[in-house]
Amino acid sequence: MAKSPIFILFSLIITFTVTNSFSIENPTDRRILVLLDDLALKSSHSIFFNSLESRGFDLDFKLSDDPKIALQRYGQYLYDALILFTPNSERFGGNLDVAGILEFVDSGKDLIVAADSSASDLIRNVAAECGVDFDEDPSAMVIDHGSYAVSGTEGDHTLIAADDFVQADVLLGNTKIEAPVLFKGIGHSVNPANSLVLKVLSASPSAYSANPKSKLSSPPSLSGSSISLVSVVQARNNARVVFSGSLDLFSNKFFKSPVQKAGSSNKYEKSGNQQFVTELSKWVFHERGHLKAVNVRHHRVGETEEPAIYRINDDLEYLVEIYEWSGSSWEPYVANDVQVQFYMMSPYVLKTMSSDKKGLYLASFKVPDVYGVFQFKVEYQRLGYTSLSLAKQIPVRPFRHNEYERFIPTAFPYYGASFSTMAGFLIFSFVYLYSK
Amino acid sequence: MVKPSSSAATKDDARALIHSLRSAYSATPTNLKIIDLYVVFAVSTALIQVAYMAIVGSFPFNSFLSGVLSCVGTAVLAVCLRIQVNKENKEFKDLPPERAFADFVLCNLVLHLVIMNFLG
Amino acid sequence: MAVPVDTVTKQPQPPPPSPSSLRFAFGNVLAFFILLLIGVLAFSIRLFSVIKYESVIHEFDPYFNYRVTQFLTKNGIYDFWNWFDDRTWYPLGRVIGGTVYPGLTLTAGTIWKVLQSLNIPLSVETVCVFTAPVFSAFAAWATYLLTKEVKGTGAGLTAAVLLAMVPSYISRSVAGSYDNEAVAIFALIFTFYLYIKTLNTGSLFYATLNSLSYFYMVCSWGGYTFIINLIPMHVLLCIVTGRYSSRLYIAYAPLVVLGTLLAALVPVVGFNAVMTSEHFASFLVFIVIHVVALAYYIKGILSPKMFKVAATLVVSVGLVVCLAVVGVLVAVVASSPTKGWSGRSLSLLDPTYASKYIPIIASVSEHQPPTWPSYFMDLNVLAFLVPAGIIACFSPLSDASSFVILYLVMSVYFSGVMVRLMLVLAPAACIMSGIALSEAFEVFTRSIKFYISSLSEFLETDAGDVMPGSNGSPQFDVLKTEKKEDSLKERPSRKNKKKEKDVVVVKEKSSVKSKTEKRPLVLPAEVSFFALFLTVLLGAFYVVHSVWAAAEAYSAPSIVLTSHSHDGLHVFDDFREAYAWLSHNTEVDDKVASWWDYGYQTTAMANRTVIVDNNTWNNTHIATVGTAMSSPEKAGWEIFNSLDVKYVLVVFGGLVGYPSDDINKFLWMVRIGGGVFPHIKEPDYLRDGQYRIDSQATPTMLNSLMYKLSYFRFVETDGGKGYDRVRRTEIGKKHFKLTHFEEVFTTHHWMVRIYKLKPQKNRIRGKTKKTKSKTISSTPRSGTTKKNPWH
Repeated sequence: MAKSPIFILFSLIITFTVTNSFSIENPTDRRILVLLDDLALKSSHSIFFNSLESRGFDLDFKLSDDPKIALQRYGQYLYDALILFTPNSERFGGNLDVAGILEFVDSGKDLIVAADSSASDLIRNVAAECGVDFDEDPSAMVIDHGSYAVSGTEGDHTLIAADDFVQADVLLGNTKIEAPVLFKGIGHSVNPANSLVLKVLSASPSAYSANPKSKLSSPPSLSGSSISLVSVVQARNNARVVFSGSLDLFSNKFFKSPVQKAGSSNKYEKSGNQQFVTELSKWVFHERGHLKAVNVRHHRVGETEEPAIYRINDDLEYLVEIYEWSGSSWEPYVANDVQVQFYMMSPYVLKTMSSDKKGLYLASFKVPDVYGVFQFKVEYQRLGYTSLSLAKQIPVRPFRHNEYERFIPTAFPYYGASFSTMAGFLIFSFVYLYSK
Repeated sequence: MVKPSSSAATKDDARALIHSLRSAYSATPTNLKIIDLYVVFAVSTALIQVAYMAIVGSFPFNSFLSGVLSCVGTAVLAVCLRIQVNKENKEFKDLPPERAFADFVLCNLVLHLVIMNFLG
Repeated sequence: MAVPVDTVTKQPQPPPPSPSSLRFAFGNVLAFFILLLIGVLAFSIRLFSVIKYESVIHEFDPYFNYRVTQFLTKNGIYDFWNWFDDRTWYPLGRVIGGTVYPGLTLTAGTIWKVLQSLNIPLSVETVCVFTAPVFSAFAAWATYLLTKEVKGTGAGLTAAVLLAMVPSYISRSVAGSYDNEAVAIFALIFTFYLYIKTLNTGSLFYATLNSLSYFYMVCSWGGYTFIINLIPMHVLLCIVTGRYSSRLYIAYAPLVVLGTLLAALVPVVGFNAVMTSEHFASFLVFIVIHVVALAYYIKGILSPKMFKVAATLVVSVGLVVCLAVVGVLVAVVASSPTKGWSGRSLSLLDPTYASKYIPIIASVSEHQPPTWPSYFMDLNVLAFLVPAGIIACFSPLSDASSFVILYLVMSVYFSGVMVRLMLVLAPAACIMSGIALSEAFEVFTRSIKFYISSLSEFLETDAGDVMPGSNGSPQFDVLKTEKKEDSLKERPSRKNKKKEKDVVVVKEKSSVKSKTEKRPLVLPAEVSFFALFLTVLLGAFYVVHSVWAAAEAYSAPSIVLTSHSHDGLHVFDDFREAYAWLSHNTEVDDKVASWWDYGYQTTAMANRTVIVDNNTWNNTHIATVGTAMSSPEKAGWEIFNSLDVKYVLVVFGGLVGYPSDDINKFLWMVRIGGGVFPHIKEPDYLRDGQYRIDSQATPTMLNSLMYKLSYFRFVETDGGKGYDRVRRTEIGKKHFKLTHFEEVFTTHHWMVRIYKLKPQKNRIRGKTKKTKSKTISSTPRSGTTKKNPWH
């Protein structure tokens, strides 16, 4: 942790020198705008906010109807991330609207959205645009009679203890979250075909989404583990978004409260909320799972210069260095499943690259016997990691006229014949000229 | 055309033919005979190559082509020369044999240049 | 323009009586200057395009040639030979060195180098622009030489004048039309000239030159197959008609051997020179001529009786061998799928072949059969003079004139198949017409002169004496001028062979006699004058038409268009505007997709990578682009995206009435695309067999990418009507949005529209209906209560 003050200083310099501090070199967000429905949230969720500030983030709290809300000024974004703790706001102050938020995301910024038992249409629209569909019934909550959180009073089982986490260290950290997470709020569903959305916290099979105050007249539209409680979206430009159906999930009260899942004898002193939220916020603010590929290069075997063009059947080496952002520095990324394609309309070569465990990946192969404009392609998409999509165009030419094989043994008779006719011609000329 | 009944006559004819051919040919001047020898040399080289190609296949096709065509070309050019310098050929009365030979050399040079280019 | 014609008309007329050597010298000098003038005429008549427009490369293919020439001058010949071009046919690339006929490029490159070494700093473009006119002057001179070999100087000069102006040739060789044909026609005529020259002289020297000229032709144009088939045909014709001579052997045999070898040296031809059927005819005739030569030789040294015996023997054996060889050949050829013929050649033999099997060949307008008016347009009065020329060639028939006749007949047939080959017909027609005109002039002027001389000599001699006496009289010599001098040299040599015992001197006389006997034609003076006048009028008409054609019809560079209207001249420079936009506003490695017509221009002018271009070597790739254009927007986007395309360029003429736009070519895209991808079906785009884009058009048509890209925002131009001036109808679907493409550039007259492929969406939307957000934006709920949910 000795590093961190220096790092903060460093990042501050960056913040002041470069207006857009989200840079390739330092992908972690620094300035965060927090929009609240009520300033009371600031204190009721202080643990979460404090943990962010202690990690070096600048939080800027604003009421959702504050007329001075502005995400950008003079075409530059003022913030690197946005936290919307505004489940009930139908509109924001200033000129921020759904399109503005989506534009913010589309420019690579991150977003945390928390709904509650009543999600406003604004929140719903933002979610829908990102592929998350909150339950359309405005009064519905997630009810679980099987794995609710045991509390003093027998409630309506809307406070549930969820422990169906996604199995991904990159999202939720290396340490396993032992205690269930307390959740109270609206459920949502995601389209399984949507590859960008991921359920991080799912409801248990016995959960369903309905209005707890009224009787269930028709089968609930959402039920079972298809209900997602917390989902993350990683857009194609690697902007990260968290959708939570519950604002309370982030609250001090849930952070501190003990939890016991119904039907389980394990009673935890503290719920898993804090760990869950902290780890998730690390992910969403690019403190983890952010990869970069640098030093992409290729050359013929035995050379170091990168040629402008290859010849068919050349032997070549392709190298790339991949690093992961650890929140403070770039660490070598170690994996054994990085593949490179040599691609022209379809992959002609597909090879798993070998790693030296220091971030350098290498593949060597022979150029196929086909000429054309090829591409070195690395398409590396792993759950939770930013997607790496490298493409480098390289033409492959056929043999030059003087690169074909010469002096083929089978052709020696032909050579002989040709030269003998030439010799014959000379001899003939002499004989003919002197025979008179 | 050759009827079996007249095979004996045919044989006689053939013998007479060969005889007269030989006698007619022996009358040709020496320089023409030299050319003929040269032509025979070229054509036989070409035939040998074709036979060789039939055995080993036509892989270095350009070499084969240049080999055969150099022989064929040589033969053809020699025949042309023979036509031009033949004193019996009255079409070329006004063409001096020196000029004919110079043309022949030029043509051969072009041919062999091309062959060299195409061989490898 | 009329000056050279006048000189020619004067030319056969007698110079003032003087000693003959001086007269010949004078005639030669005159002919030389006439030729010089013809060269100037041929060059200058092709400059209309530069004067009316500007010094710019024309059309499509010339741009490619220009680009290749630039590469050649920059990188040298070896890099050119091995040039692998990664900017066309993305991602396949194209081996330029191995697929291009390098003759034109090398010629222009050499000219440029020479000029550069002489410190004449011309740009490569200038050299390219003026290559075609220069070579048309050469072609005119070659025509002179060829016709002189056939019929003498007078006919040669006339033919040269005609060729210098023939509209068909002008259409391909105006300044800026930097295409293969520009040099190939010269090479074609020159090769024919050398062949005839060899045939007439029997000199190996000319045979060598002939093969070198043939090599140049092979380098220049795929039309060289015309030569390698025509000459064997002529040889065969000579053999069949009993005109075999040793000169024929010398003219033909070395040409086949050397020519084949040289042709195989050109990378684009390579082994095709011996492997494809187009060349088989020459080998077959090569064998035949050897058999015939041997037969003649044996006949020469044997007594007639023995020869008969030999003949029976040889024929019986030979027949069997020949049959076997032919059988093997047929089997080999038949076993290959296209019978060993390439598509373009097959479409020559069977005019319906292309439209049946290869839409890509049929889609090119210059591969269509010509219409009758186009003969008149391109050849004008030559079309009527040709028959007269044929008759003139038959009297007397020589090897050379029979060759010209054969050339004419074959080229007439080929031009009937493909309008492009009208170009090959043009020199033949010029030669024939030149012969016809010059013969006519000769007859007329002789009649007139006879009339004049008979007037002057009337008092002294009897009219009856003049006629036979004219044989040896100096006037007769004068009549014949130089023309006679040449034909006299050739003709005896041919006749020598027939009547070997004739003494040359005797024969010379007899030939002269036979000539005068054949033409005792002396027309009455009045008729002659009138006919002469008519002929000159005919010539004048031809000149006027040619100049008109050169100035109006064939000089448009087609990248700059002009139109005259009541308020003056309009210039449509949209193509260059669009290409300039591309080159300034897109990344160097961006790929631009368009229909293949614009591929060469895009690479040459915008320097951007294209998917397909005018070198239509890969049908599948073109079909892919055609399919993308014919598909709905999303499918089209997917196809283009898979090819890494960034921009799509369409040509649209609906606003200004430019008829050769992409909508009019669209059916070909559908056809070519459907030929490879069967889910594209032509009937889907036709309503009751009719191609239409109005409200009656089929939904497939209206939803196709091409329709959308062409007519996007079109209604905005004329206040909501959307009236297409090319199709002369209102368009069917007027208001629509593009979801996967965005318009980035549209030129001033809307002739070129460039679209960018939108990137893939950053997010994937959920299922929630859009209606919801609509209600939100329209009726935002007021009074949002601030409520702490955390009660």
